[in-house]
Amino acid sequence: MFDIKNIYLFIKKPVVILLLFLLIFFSVCAKPYFLNPLNIHNLLRQISFDVPLALAMMTVLIVGGIDLSVGSVLSMSAALTIGLQDKGMHVGVIAALCFGVIVGFINGIIVTRGGVVPFIATLGTMTLIRGALLLYTKQQSIAGSNEAFTFWGNGSLGYFPIPFILVVILSVILFCFLKYTRTGRNLYAVGGNFDCAYLAGIKVDKTKIIAFIISGFLASFSGVLLASRLNSSTVHIGLDSNMWAIAAAIIGGASMTGGKGNVLATFIGVFTLGVLVNGMNLMRVLTYYQIGIKALALIVIVVFDAILIINMSKKKKRVIIADESL
Amino acid sequence: MTQNVIFTKQAFGIKSLRDLLLKQNTSLILLLIFLIIARFLSPHFFSAQNLLNILWGVSALGIVALGQTMLLITGNFDMSVAYVVGLSGITAVLSQIAGVGLLTSVILGLSVGVLVGLFNGLIVVFTKANAFLITLGSSILVYSINLILTKSKTWSVHIEGFLTLGRGKVLDIHYSVLIFLILAVLLFIFLKKTVTGKYFYVIGLNKRVAQLTGIAANKIILGAYVLCGLTAALAGLIMTSRTGSTVANAGVGMDFDSLIAAVLGGTSLFGGRGNTLFTVVGILILGVLNNILILINFPYEAQQIAKGFVFLVVVWADGVSRKKRI
Repeated sequence: MFDIKNIYLFIKKPVVILLLFLLIFFSVCAKPYFLNPLNIHNLLRQISFDVPLALAMMTVLIVGGIDLSVGSVLSMSAALTIGLQDKGMHVGVIAALCFGVIVGFINGIIVTRGGVVPFIATLGTMTLIRGALLLYTKQQSIAGSNEAFTFWGNGSLGYFPIPFILVVILSVILFCFLKYTRTGRNLYAVGGNFDCAYLAGIKVDKTKIIAFIISGFLASFSGVLLASRLNSSTVHIGLDSNMWAIAAAIIGGASMTGGKGNVLATFIGVFTLGVLVNGMNLMRVLTYYQIGIKALALIVIVVFDAILIINMSKKKKRVIIADESL
Repeated sequence: MTQNVIFTKQAFGIKSLRDLLLKQNTSLILLLIFLIIARFLSPHFFSAQNLLNILWGVSALGIVALGQTMLLITGNFDMSVAYVVGLSGITAVLSQIAGVGLLTSVILGLSVGVLVGLFNGLIVVFTKANAFLITLGSSILVYSINLILTKSKTWSVHIEGFLTLGRGKVLDIHYSVLIFLILAVLLFIFLKKTVTGKYFYVIGLNKRVAQLTGIAANKIILGAYVLCGLTAALAGLIMTSRTGSTVANAGVGMDFDSLIAAVLGGTSLFGGRGNTLFTVVGILILGVLNNILILINFPYEAQQIAKGFVFLVVVWADGVSRKKRI
């Protein structure tokens, strides 16, 4: 891990180059503000809520799926956390996390048993959950009643924000799970080559369901954190989170074809997008243009990923029919 | 992920429903069931006025769904239709305000649809990137253009004559309904009676084989994207002229609804199956379902749940039947 060659390979990754470019660009263009310690502190807090979401997407991308329901799981979890707060802080949090796990399980079942393409299945659950959310909140925002709960989203430990520390711990756990446990490695095997994984005796369906469950859990974790940060919940949060999470995971090296994905790189991917948004805010770019720039970033990233796959398959003399990459 | 299918064990499904949905005429049966339910709920349902109103209500969405169906047959998606609907209306209205004539403003409105379709199609065809993600990105991009153009305000139609497109009637039937039905029949004839139409199915079934037999698959897919953009733009013009004003997110939700309608009409999400007449049936199912939910006083928010649920059941059946055939 700490070999010089590894460090060199790490710096050569596109996401790191992109991050360095953006860092230098905004350090120059938004000069007095960007490198301010206070801004960096804010930046770390801002990205904390996107990290679990991107990790969720990455986990599903590793097994060759995609989870579009993360955004609505996030908003529903936030609503549950705040809505059930009067029954006790823990009740809301536990209910929200359980909700994420259950949705992940349902997604996994639909994908494996129903033979539905992951993005269609999760598109369906996304609509269902959003409908349930609208029904639950009656399209109104809910205000939180427990001040102590806001500590998890707003507090700081020394220089570092609490949510940032939490997501770092979460990332380390996920990293160890993916790297050092059998189930974690099975995820890569299933995504890399489904038939081989099946023939090697891996329980492919179970592995996929586990990936979706992890994704649901992480998405709801993100929702709980966000609820704590805002101390309220509206139906509008998490609307474009899917796109954001996909973009972060893909610039972090995950691929639509599965089998690839790295926790650290995804973390840096989120950080890169966070720097982009933060920098645009500091440079006073209008929100409308920001939305467009983000969308362009997604398109460019996906195209880049696709071109990379074509080049790779040419090198390996392997035919990948792009239509099957769903 | 077609390679998975070979090894996955026999899927379980709701047996009777599956057998029902295996056949193409399932959508007709589904429509019939909904019609009978509606008849029992309200004696006024079968009045000519109500039926025409249902048709009028779904005609704009129906036109979008027709384009989406053509694209789905080739095995591609377009998620950007929702905001193209908004963009075409905005372009037409803003150009009218800028002093352009009626016909020119309509042509301008339609041409933005063609442009977005070209943009999507070129990227998807040439980079072989995931169609879903690309069009998701371009959808947000178009949304940001909408926001920039309208400055988040509502703009009213400037030329009175423009309103006849959405509100005008001939023999008690709205123009938009006629346009929708005629377009469906024309596209049906195109698909079934012309060689190019048949190529749509070949490409959807297997793009590689289609290319090897000398079909210009990329050109046809590009054409399908342009057609999809064009129909979305047409629907946008109709919606704008019906409401008399336009906003940035005029067609929000239509991306998903058009997919649902196409799938309800028996179009396969994997390409190669479906036709526009059955999409009309799918659209009618949605319209009648909506009408039923209103008749039984279902909360507005729950309609989305019902739609999502019906969608999931249908794609489940689609996936299971696909597994079975292979």
